[in-house]
Amino acid sequence: MKLEEIRADFKILNGDKKPIYFDSACMSLKPNSVVEAVNDYYYNFPACAGRSSHKLGEEVTRKVRETRLAVSKFINADSEREIIFTRNTTEALNLLANSLDLQKGDVVLITDKEHNSNLIPWLILKEKKGIEIRIIYSKEDNTFDLEKFSQFVQGAKLVSIVHTSNLDGVTNPVKEIIEIAHKNNALVILDAAQSIPHRKIDVKDLDVDFLAFSGHKMLGPTGTGVLYGKYKLLEKLSPFIVGGETVEYSTYETYKMLPAPEKFEAGLQNYAGIIGLGEAVKYLGKIGFDNIAEHELKLNAYITNEILKIPKIKIIGPKEPEKRSGIINFYIDNTDMHQVALMLDNMANIAIRSGQHCVHSWFNNKKIENSARVSLYFYNTMEEAELFIINLKKIVKIL
Amino acid sequence: MPCIIALIVFGILGIFSASHRVLAGEAFGCVFRRITLRPCNTGFKEKIKSKILSKLISRSAFFARLVNKHYELLSWVFFILFLGSTIWVLRGGYNYYVYGSCNGLNQSGFCVFDPKGENNKISQINAECGITLKSEKNVTLDDVDLSSFPAKNIGSKDTVVFIGCYDCDYSRKAYPDIQRLVTKKNTNYVFVHYPAKNDSVFLSDIGYCVYKEYGDKFWEFNDYLFTTDKNFILNKANVNKILELFDFDAEKMNECANSIDAKNAVQNEVNEMEKTNLYGTPTVFINGKPFVGPKPYRVYRSAINDFIFF
Repeated sequence: MKLEEIRADFKILNGDKKPIYFDSACMSLKPNSVVEAVNDYYYNFPACAGRSSHKLGEEVTRKVRETRLAVSKFINADSEREIIFTRNTTEALNLLANSLDLQKGDVVLITDKEHNSNLIPWLILKEKKGIEIRIIYSKEDNTFDLEKFSQFVQGAKLVSIVHTSNLDGVTNPVKEIIEIAHKNNALVILDAAQSIPHRKIDVKDLDVDFLAFSGHKMLGPTGTGVLYGKYKLLEKLSPFIVGGETVEYSTYETYKMLPAPEKFEAGLQNYAGIIGLGEAVKYLGKIGFDNIAEHELKLNAYITNEILKIPKIKIIGPKEPEKRSGIINFYIDNTDMHQVALMLDNMANIAIRSGQHCVHSWFNNKKIENSARVSLYFYNTMEEAELFIINLKKIVKIL
Repeated sequence: MPCIIALIVFGILGIFSASHRVLAGEAFGCVFRRITLRPCNTGFKEKIKSKILSKLISRSAFFARLVNKHYELLSWVFFILFLGSTIWVLRGGYNYYVYGSCNGLNQSGFCVFDPKGENNKISQINAECGITLKSEKNVTLDDVDLSSFPAKNIGSKDTVVFIGCYDCDYSRKAYPDIQRLVTKKNTNYVFVHYPAKNDSVFLSDIGYCVYKEYGDKFWEFNDYLFTTDKNFILNKANVNKILELFDFDAEKMNECANSIDAKNAVQNEVNEMEKTNLYGTPTVFINGKPFVGPKPYRVYRSAINDFIFF
């Protein structure tokens, strides 16, 4: 598809006040088809799935099942029963942290660049149950230290790591990580929130045990997420939240849980969002991950090249754009990067994110106050990248 | 501390606009943190600073850099200026309350004495107040002998002197307020008829004679002249009818008014009034403090109540 045709699919990119949207790592824009799918639910069959036997209920049930199937194919899962819908990656990771039977002394490995959603649940378990957390610090250039990992994984029960970091866009060598972890009898959870919108993920090829990702970063509606788990593992997990639609039956004394995925999806679900997510999956399939990667690299290379010419600016992570997916996270010493982001927004309607990007631990460890992050996606253009650089240079001059 | 300014400005705008209400909330958070000696971490400062710099940068990078570099200092300067101008505005509001508009009731002005002697001018609405020569500051009762004017001395600590003209609309407007003030506050009272317009000169002479001859009955006569249709009272042909209304001896009063003694006495009174430097009617002195032009009742009341601090 041509870029113009793609952009035509996004209403926000066609208005008079269209933004230069460089914050897709936080939230991607939504194609019209996703919005229409959400509206379609509310307009035409706003009913419950899996409960009501009327035609409207049947329609929702069918659409949700279709999405589950589409998602399972999207990541090449064995079965749609391995797909659990959640609100987002954070909920999926919390579900695992609270469902895996971790005990005192059990070792969980994480990296030094984990999003708070893959750090705080383990810190709480450390406090509550006395689990041990081991942190794999990155190498000098912020890339994964496989050698260190090989040593640290010994005796670990669980490896819970980010696939592509939202901090610097670096993608960890997860195939090797998973192989090593499994050799050491450790389960692996992959936080794929930042990787799934940008690269093909094949859970069978990776042999990953659990995979968590969000819908809102991959063109889907907000409040949608997925937890994939190998079915045999899901069967063993205790549910985290229980209630409606999680049990086959109950009496005043007992109950019988439904199998996965139902036992993990308590209460009425975000059907509109789930159906929208199905549409997002379709749209991504239409674009193709090779095209996405190629386009993002072109833009990232240009922006990186230009930014490196500005003496004051430092890029977080490796200098090579091909190692940073669609992310360029940068900072200037002794400068509040919120101001830079706000000025870009005010001057040229350029939306980038500033702050610590929910990776406070890394910033506090490095003693860096904050940074400004450009995160690209396939709908961004070279003209936008050029405008960003022009305005950034203007701002840097007055700092 | 621009957040204080922002809190006030956005607080006011927030009454009408929800988006400004949010900003006011952020500004409040910032102010609260600053007054509890904590750094403002709400991001509000950055938000405002970036808005300012974004505007400046498109005009002058140099100026934007300067503002960025000295933002804190400039904020304080701006804050002090804001504080100063706020005090000035409040003082203006206070002055308006206690002195009223310097252009009377701000409708069309007040009776002004024309230096050419025409004595029939009205000031313009937007005419500048406080010209050095025609300044209320210069209007005074010092060295002015009020003993010959109609007066009610009831031994009050407060004294009201009303200088008005029967032909002046603004004197007529202020007159009931002054009567109300004098009655309500039980003040001493001196009345001076100053003929701002030539039409009413003859009434000065008549008034002089009525007070001389009938004493306190003058006050009813005076009320009548200020409250009856101007065209009627200013018509010399009606003088006798008016005098007869109050059972005054019209012939005697006319004779008196035309006498040299009365003319001299009235002229002496006018001369005495000129010592006050008054330049328009009504001019009211309340405990010696002058008010030129008609003022709202609250202004006169404030003067009696010692509400005027500067």
